[in-house]
Amino acid sequence: MGAEDDPSASLKTLAAPVKSAVDKFQLLPAFLKVRGLVKQHIDSFNYFINHDIKKIMKANDRLVCRYDPDLCLRYTNIYVEEPSVDMDFSVEKLTPHLCRLSDRTYAAPIKVDIEYTKGNQANKKPEIKRGLVIGRLPIMLRSCRCVLSGKDEAELAKLGECPLDPGGYFIVKGTEKVILIQEQLSKNRIIIDTDSKGRVTASVTSSTHETKSKTVFFIDKDKIYLQLNQFIKPIPIMVIMRAMGMESDQEIVQMVGRDPRYGTLLLPSLQECASERIYTQQQALEYLDGKVGSANSARSGNRKEGLARAILLDVFLANVPVNQGNFRPKCIYASVMLRRMMDAILNADTFDDKDYVGNKRLELSGQLISLLFEDLFKSMNSFALELLNRAYEHASRSSPLDFVHYIKQDYITNGLEKSIATGNWDVKRFKMHRKGVSQVLSRLSFIGALGSMTRISPQFEKTRKVSGPRALQPSQWGMLCPCDTPEGEACGLTKNLALMTHVTTDEEEGPLISLCHSLGVQDLALLSAEELHAPGSFLVIFNGLILGKHRQPQRFANAMRKLRRSGKIGEFVSIFVNEKQHCVYVASDGGRVCRPLVIADKGISRIKEHHMKELRDGVRSFDDFLRDGLVEYLDVNEENNALIALYEYENDKDDSEKEKDDVKRSSITHIEIEPFTILGVCAGLIPYPHHNQSPRNTYQCAMGKQAMGNIGYNQLSRADTLLYLLVYPQRPLLTTKTIELVGYDKLGGGQNATVAVMSYSGYDIEDAIVMNKSSLDRGFGRCIAMKKYTVVKETYSNGTSDAIVRSNKEKVGSNMQILDDDGIAAPGEIVRNHDVLVNKFTPRNTRDRVSRDIDYKEAPSKYKGPEGETTVIDRVILSSDTNDKLSIKFIVRHTRRPEVGDKFSSRHGQKGVCGTIVQQEDFPFSERGICPDLIMNPHGFPSRMTIGKMIELLGGKAGVSCGRFHYGSAFGEPSGHADKVEDISYTLVKHGFSYSGKDFIYSGITGYPLQAYIFMGPIYYQKLKHMVLDKMHARAKGPRVMLTRQPTEGRSRDGGLRLGEMERDCLIAYGASMMIFERLMLSSDPYQVQVCRQCGLLGYYNHKLKAAFCSMCKNGDNISTMKLPYACKLLFQELQSMNVVPRLKLTEA
Amino acid sequence: MDPQPEPVSYICGDCGAENTLKPGDVIQCRECGYRILYKKRTRRIVQYEAR
Repeated sequence: MGAEDDPSASLKTLAAPVKSAVDKFQLLPAFLKVRGLVKQHIDSFNYFINHDIKKIMKANDRLVCRYDPDLCLRYTNIYVEEPSVDMDFSVEKLTPHLCRLSDRTYAAPIKVDIEYTKGNQANKKPEIKRGLVIGRLPIMLRSCRCVLSGKDEAELAKLGECPLDPGGYFIVKGTEKVILIQEQLSKNRIIIDTDSKGRVTASVTSSTHETKSKTVFFIDKDKIYLQLNQFIKPIPIMVIMRAMGMESDQEIVQMVGRDPRYGTLLLPSLQECASERIYTQQQALEYLDGKVGSANSARSGNRKEGLARAILLDVFLANVPVNQGNFRPKCIYASVMLRRMMDAILNADTFDDKDYVGNKRLELSGQLISLLFEDLFKSMNSFALELLNRAYEHASRSSPLDFVHYIKQDYITNGLEKSIATGNWDVKRFKMHRKGVSQVLSRLSFIGALGSMTRISPQFEKTRKVSGPRALQPSQWGMLCPCDTPEGEACGLTKNLALMTHVTTDEEEGPLISLCHSLGVQDLALLSAEELHAPGSFLVIFNGLILGKHRQPQRFANAMRKLRRSGKIGEFVSIFVNEKQHCVYVASDGGRVCRPLVIADKGISRIKEHHMKELRDGVRSFDDFLRDGLVEYLDVNEENNALIALYEYENDKDDSEKEKDDVKRSSITHIEIEPFTILGVCAGLIPYPHHNQSPRNTYQCAMGKQAMGNIGYNQLSRADTLLYLLVYPQRPLLTTKTIELVGYDKLGGGQNATVAVMSYSGYDIEDAIVMNKSSLDRGFGRCIAMKKYTVVKETYSNGTSDAIVRSNKEKVGSNMQILDDDGIAAPGEIVRNHDVLVNKFTPRNTRDRVSRDIDYKEAPSKYKGPEGETTVIDRVILSSDTNDKLSIKFIVRHTRRPEVGDKFSSRHGQKGVCGTIVQQEDFPFSERGICPDLIMNPHGFPSRMTIGKMIELLGGKAGVSCGRFHYGSAFGEPSGHADKVEDISYTLVKHGFSYSGKDFIYSGITGYPLQAYIFMGPIYYQKLKHMVLDKMHARAKGPRVMLTRQPTEGRSRDGGLRLGEMERDCLIAYGASMMIFERLMLSSDPYQVQVCRQCGLLGYYNHKLKAAFCSMCKNGDNISTMKLPYACKLLFQELQSMNVVPRLKLTEA
Repeated sequence: MDPQPEPVSYICGDCGAENTLKPGDVIQCRECGYRILYKKRTRRIVQYEAR
């Protein structure tokens, strides 16, 4: 068949250049459609609900009465239902929006199936009870138990939910809470490092379902010791080996390795052991028994014999399983640790890097909740058992003992709710006390909410003055965003996930282990010490556990990868061949970060055009790409075995190019899907970020979260305590691909302002901007602040309750004008400061029982807002809270137009306040009559080097004139996701502008043309939440603190402005003594005191006798009256109370 | 206190039905059982300032 037969062939298609590379961009939306932006949270929570909770139950499934072993309970199944709540003896389904509005917890019942026996019963056949509720679990939104899962847009809208909302958070007592991703060093792995004293250490943090322990080997004065919390002193390592049955020195040395250098390093340790005269296992164990700490011996009743053996079995390297007391695997593990230590001494390159992302695990909400649940479940069980035991002791029982009565639901419900609400994770069982694990989901802007879902909270305290963990790690490429990190103390410690990152969940280990064995891994038990490190063979380490060794590691790895690509084993299993350590690491544990990459065979992408066409036609999804082995997930470790090309066509350039990079095309194994995915959600909003100075992008990442805009499609039906909305939000003229992927084009956070880069008036220095008054009239930067005021109709213990009564409005000038007939202000009314929202009365007596006539006192709830501003009641919501009290919520709306001092920012970390607002008549204008919305000072550019902002202006201008959105994705020029300046300039010229983006401008004041051409065009501007109205504050007289009689502190308390120490220093240096006197005493807390000249103590003034009197001297002869700061008098009295006598000595002034 | 002239009605957040409430009533729509009620907009004439 020729080209003539093809109906679509035309001269144009045939003449078009052959596309060198397949456009793989379409994979990204497909990926995000399948995985979503917060898939890691949801996956982790789903894993907990579906698998982990069952494992926890299985580990603690049996409760047996202490006195009667026949009296027992066994859990047979556990499952989580859909969210619901018990109300008035009926079960009602919950929706997230209902929970938000009525301050409830979005929680689902956890049900169990149990088999149990009842006491005092003839038949011992266990009874079976199904669906017993043991507590309520807060449900993550969009998880598999959430009502929102699998719903389409229309259904979501019906439930009052925004379709763009990512989910992944919880609703606890009406507030949205995110459980932050926690960063941790990986568990069950050998980490070689140096400690604070510079000693080489090998440490393993073991974590199994039963125990958690930390085993540390360290070298001190050439000798190797073990440090374990259970032993009071460091133990020579050879004693440990002996205690585990390695009595032969030769075997130990063989196990570590034949290299004579290892032998030399081991010699001092061997000698020390010999000098202690420990040769046999028995001697070693006896030695160890003497070193066991007191805490352990107390546990087993002061018997020290056999304790050391138990510790070696259960605590020492707890992650290595011991079968029937066979210590061999632990010996080998210890010897491998020793070998790695020796390697580190001989060759400093082999130290592990704690900051390496491959050595880190991210703990997600599922794991964190599972920790809590495990603890609470165990506590609940032991509590139930305790109650049962106690009941058994009571001889007389009217009813048979029933386990079900003792299982208290509140235990788990309250425990989970409290932890998520406060963010305090206190699990005593694992000695875990963490604060700030959960945070309120910030709903300042849509991007802010997304940003807090991808945030990773650090493992270290912020105070550590080290640069290592804060620095950018090369291994975080593509996994963690290099831009998005806060400034200041948490800089570099708090990180954010990149766009395509996925965090793994645990995977079943058993099948993988047996698969490894059938692929030729020789079992550890069959190997002699000599064979362990035989050259050419690699140890196979599975999730930190040594499985055995393999003679052909590369072949083994290839086979495993082939199985993964064909979907036979999980797609997140990683196989990493470490040539340096002669190990193959197979990992299937949870918490590893990984990302998808296109597989390439000898540099040629497996994805062909027809695959992409199928994707575009909707017959192929991202999962099909995975299943067909075109795309795979690589974690940080496995990336080391891959050679990843940025672009496919990069390879078939000229030979000279190839030589330069020193990369042969055939050695390339993977190709990136899109380079801009190395950035996260927040950094993805920045157009042309690769043209900006790096810190500017970081600033923008922080500011994008404070920008006002849209929150969600349901923003007007929500009841947030504080909500800022932009009146006319726009979609950025210069977009990026990320913007489209995350939905920022639908829920924008700013407006496209025409910016003239020029100097104007002098009110534009220091980043201030000059704004056009007419633009503000047209709605630029106008925002709505919605605030919630809640009034609760309280009920009291004596049966009385508050009353809400209709008021007589006739009183002129009353602040009750806006009240309705029910005593509650109605929507649509204008409220001013101190207006009454609810005409509430509270009973005077709330303690004792009162008769029919309840004596009430007025307790009106007043609106407190900015003086002089008029705000409007938007909505009034009546609902009953969890304690069945009536709660009335007022949503008060305030529309604000920009004023001098409000903060604005572009998307390039260029923030500034509004310096002045100028009439449009005085504003400069172009020949076409274009008048800028704001004027920015050109001094903002040279030092900040935000070239991206300039290109944004150009691209925006071209976009406006040609009617097409231009793109500025990061690193997008080669792949066509960012328009080149050259192309933009062509468009500009075509539409009659200068190629440079500069315009011929007339002065608005004189009417003459300006001397220079002005760089002018649209730039997307964000209005930030910091507004003058919320901050301005001044006071003359005002409230004082009771204790010190000094003015109060802070704007919210109408406080004074402090003349601080440094200001005081200035006044002292200047010599303005009366000024200091006035500021520090007269304007603060002056107080008149009577001082006795005799004893120097303070007396008092008797108003009845009209005479001053000293209570110490018992007379009023030597009394002087003087002024003192009240705080000074207070100090004297406090000192006196502590038995210190301050005496005043007075001289003539 | 003088007797209430006419009871104030509230709008259900789900079905939009009008409900009247007496003090001490459970906050619940009589039609559909939804537990969030909204107050009706004021009947008074209000004049807003549009700057």
